[in-house]
Amino acid sequence: METTNVDYKAERAGYYKVLVGLLLLTAVTFIQPHMFMTDSNFMVQMFIGTVKAWMILIYYMHLKGEKLIGWSVLFSLLLVVFFYIMVIIDVNHFQFLDLSHITSEVTSSGAANASAAH
Amino acid sequence: MGHEYVPEIATDRDGNEYEVQGWQGDFYGGKLGFWLFMLTEVMMFGAMFLALTYYFSLHTADFVNASASLNRYLGGFNTVILLVSALTMGLGLLKMRVGDIKGAKLMIWATIILAIVFLGVKAVEWTAEYNHGVFLGLDALQSGNAHSKPFGEILFFGLYFTMTGLHGFHIIIGIGLMLWLLKRINANKVNQGHHILHFNIALYWDLVHLIWVFVFPYFYMIGAGDVTGGAH
Repeated sequence: METTNVDYKAERAGYYKVLVGLLLLTAVTFIQPHMFMTDSNFMVQMFIGTVKAWMILIYYMHLKGEKLIGWSVLFSLLLVVFFYIMVIIDVNHFQFLDLSHITSEVTSSGAANASAAH
Repeated sequence: MGHEYVPEIATDRDGNEYEVQGWQGDFYGGKLGFWLFMLTEVMMFGAMFLALTYYFSLHTADFVNASASLNRYLGGFNTVILLVSALTMGLGLLKMRVGDIKGAKLMIWATIILAIVFLGVKAVEWTAEYNHGVFLGLDALQSGNAHSKPFGEILFFGLYFTMTGLHGFHIIIGIGLMLWLLKRINANKVNQGHHILHFNIALYWDLVHLIWVFVFPYFYMIGAGDVTGGAH
């Protein structure tokens, strides 16, 4: 049980501080595409999202000071990142375009769209 | 063979034996178990984000155009709603830990109301999209007809409705869990000395918030600003 010695006022203040931080980051999410680094919109948005997620994990989900659970979370996130990297490598070196009509069509129109976007 | 009761014995480091009365007081075990469940949720949504990333890399312009057509003010409003609801949930847990049962229940009710507002805004959004002919099963999202959207946009909206729908389903589950929690609190099954259920449901609600933290920018914000490709 962890019911003893709860510093109510300090913890409540902590909740409000994190709320203000998250609200500010949400505001940045909104103004960023119109204000700065507009060429890297996607990366900036994901970076802000990652900072917000970190704040939620550490403070709202009480991961601060949690060793076993903290490492478990990190491990699972690294596992997801590993699968991301494997798929990115696979997609970049796809060898079977001619064997898959779906992939072939998607890739060619996608490449045209992607080049049009830049 | 009878069904006689065999007590389970736990031994401490000094060799003293204790009869186990139940595992309900195992706060850390309950927390660890719930984290393991949440990691499976991360895997599930992680796979969906992976699919999203893959198709985004293939159809960048279509995705940006489709994103620009979403109502990001409604999406942003829902982001703030979820953010505040994470606060009310957290404050509710804090009140429970200091023994303020009435305050804790009030905060849980506030969270439930915010969750319903979130679903209401989502319903308004989906209805507007349906009225514009953009919904799963409608012609615009089927390839090979006169009303078909570009292939990349079909993929975008397919993933958009699937992922926001699955997220909305988690919100509904969360409301159910909070109602159940209120029932348990009223029955004094959850109280200051035994609040693991409250703790884990608060964790669940934070996870639902956490997923939205990435769902929102990925669907609503990638088409914001001057990178829309001139769609709107």
